[in-house]
Amino acid sequence: MVTTETPGRTPGQTPAQTADQSAGARKVLGIPATAVRRARKSAASTPGRLFVIGVGLVVLALLTGVVGALSLRQKDDTVDNLIEHREPLATASQEIYRALSDADATAASAFLAGGTPPVALRERYEVDIASAGANLAEASADVGGVTEAEQQVNDLAKELPVYTGLVETARAYNRQGYPAGAAYLREASGLMRSKILPAAETLYAIDFERLVAEQEEARSVPWVTLLLVVALLVALVATQRYLTRRTNRLLNVGLLVATIAVALSLIWGTASLWIASSKVAAGEDNGTQQVESVVQARIVALKLRANETLTLVARGDGGEYEEEWKKLSKQITGDSDANLLVRAESLAANEEAATAIRDARRNAEDWMAAHAKVREKDAGGNYEGAVKVAIGDERDSAATMFSRLDANLFEALKHGREQFAAETSSASNAMLALAPGFAVLALLAAVGVTMGIRERLQEYR
Amino acid sequence: MRLIRTGARATLLAALAVVAVGCSTARPVDLATVDSVDGPQPVGVVENPPPPSTSSAPVPQCDPTASYRPMDALPAAGQMPANTTMRRIQDAGNLIAGVDQNTFLFGFRNPTTNALEGFDIDRVREIAEAIFGDPNRVQFQVITSKEREEALEKGRVHVVVRTYTANCERWQKVNFSSIYYTAGQRLLVERSSKVTSLEQLSGKKVCAAKGSTSIKTIDAHEANPVPVAVDNWSDCLIMLQQGQVAAVSTDDTILLGMVAQDPNVKIVGEKFTQEPYGIGIPKADVDMVKFVNAVLAQSIQSGRWQGSFNRWLGRTGEQAAPPVPAAYRD
Repeated sequence: MVTTETPGRTPGQTPAQTADQSAGARKVLGIPATAVRRARKSAASTPGRLFVIGVGLVVLALLTGVVGALSLRQKDDTVDNLIEHREPLATASQEIYRALSDADATAASAFLAGGTPPVALRERYEVDIASAGANLAEASADVGGVTEAEQQVNDLAKELPVYTGLVETARAYNRQGYPAGAAYLREASGLMRSKILPAAETLYAIDFERLVAEQEEARSVPWVTLLLVVALLVALVATQRYLTRRTNRLLNVGLLVATIAVALSLIWGTASLWIASSKVAAGEDNGTQQVESVVQARIVALKLRANETLTLVARGDGGEYEEEWKKLSKQITGDSDANLLVRAESLAANEEAATAIRDARRNAEDWMAAHAKVREKDAGGNYEGAVKVAIGDERDSAATMFSRLDANLFEALKHGREQFAAETSSASNAMLALAPGFAVLALLAAVGVTMGIRERLQEYR
Repeated sequence: MRLIRTGARATLLAALAVVAVGCSTARPVDLATVDSVDGPQPVGVVENPPPPSTSSAPVPQCDPTASYRPMDALPAAGQMPANTTMRRIQDAGNLIAGVDQNTFLFGFRNPTTNALEGFDIDRVREIAEAIFGDPNRVQFQVITSKEREEALEKGRVHVVVRTYTANCERWQKVNFSSIYYTAGQRLLVERSSKVTSLEQLSGKKVCAAKGSTSIKTIDAHEANPVPVAVDNWSDCLIMLQQGQVAAVSTDDTILLGMVAQDPNVKIVGEKFTQEPYGIGIPKADVDMVKFVNAVLAQSIQSGRWQGSFNRWLGRTGEQAAPPVPAAYRD
């Protein structure tokens, strides 16, 4: 009736057998089989069955603790990674695009200005190039084994120096008064538009995709852990009912403690993961998605500005730029959903962001009016007047309107990013101490099971 | 004794492990090796362009330099006779001229002043002055070489003054004024190059503008050079500078403008074509042709033509006498 087996000592360890190591190995390999045989034999009796149940529960509790703590730890890391890596990376790659596109439009404006280009334009070009370089370094540090991202970063790193070389050659010829300068500038701009900007746009798309994928991961339910916890809880309840039936004792303190610990971890985990996931979702909707539509609007605005200046540089031979303008301008004007700014406004996180986007919408409409004036003057033969409206710093010039639009979009972008960071970090806070807490509760459950089962087993001695 | 054997076995195992590990990491990690790059190219470059689909009918023989007789006396500026093309232009307020902004010395944008200048631009201003009494009443429309006929046929411009060679094929679509300069196709190469003629450029890339007479001459040459067609003449210069073509071949006047921008290139060989430049005018506007011819004749007579020539082409050491029309078609 009493099991005398002490688990600490396996019968395979007599000195005679250690002499022959291969035989010993066979014995070691035989342990599980032996254990199963023994368990099956002893499970026939109540204490034997109790012992097996106890071991099973302890193993399940420890397993749940380890798996749960690891997966919760990982979830916490995922959320932190959103704030520390994914979102900054997506922002860096959109800044690469913005800076490069702006550099192209600025180089064209400086050319249009004639003579020695204004200091402000020169500085703006330099800052753009430096910013593109710095953000490219950020982006290249975190391609994360995504081959396509690596490819874009490579292309950008290879072509950017070539571009700046061409622009400087153009500048040197311009200062000497030779039209070869215009040819170099056209070549530079062609390189920018055909190779560099598409690479930057693709890189941004990849990095944005990675951000969204990781947000999804952060919001996902840890099914394995949940299943283990529920299974453990059911097993504990079932064991107690079994014990009550067999021993006529209503309560087993150890098992009760274990059950409470597991129930607590289930409630705590569910609540904090639910909060965290809804916070991540809020960060995605009011942060990331708003930023995304603002970024898209900004990309369109930059393309429009480049087309506007290049049409004038081409001086009547720029039909394709104006065609592109007409197609693109629909994406930031009007009241329909095709207007990216309308979409951004509906996603705006707070009143400041909404105001900035509303201002941007007004700037866009004003810019369209200024552009119409540019085209009207150019078509009417007043080229100098058209250039003045396009690049001058008057209050209603196209350049002023574009700058205001870009500044407001940047403002909206800033609010979107802040919203994202706030929501996502509160998701991280919701999971504070969850992983270690879960591990401690699982351990408590294991201890409770051990105590409870031992108490009953002792009654059989 | 057993301990030693065990120890020996462990050492052996360890040694094996080191060898195994050593084998798998002996190769250095691949670096980002770059062996070649795609150099940047001007927008719109076409290598070996398909020959233009010229009208299947053979071009009738003609004297491309023969224009219409100039009108006897120019009407006073600002008082163009009614029902003439000139009157229409005067009423519109501006002379619309198709020009180039990339060909140094002929039609180019001066980066310092932002204004269009050159020998061709001077011709445009003379016409504007004759119509309006004001050389600045001009709306310049920049067009590429291959857009010239189309711009005239569709009435987008009143005149085309853009190193425009008068030939019989083009005469079928547009009118030309009297010849105001005669250029000839030559070759431009790097100063260190030993090439002196197209014969030596078999299989090599030679640049010229799309739709120009020069690109056809290169394409038709028996030595089979590879024609590279670009949108603007200055694109040819920068391709030569970047080592993307072996030579540029076109009218010597255009090449002179390139030498003026970069003393490290030189013009070689003889003129192998005659390129008489005329002012393009829509086919219907014969009255305008007669008017423009009178303006040209006056410019030559008054010495303005010579002054303009000296100002632009004089700096290259080129000398020329004003052309005298030898024949008229009416």
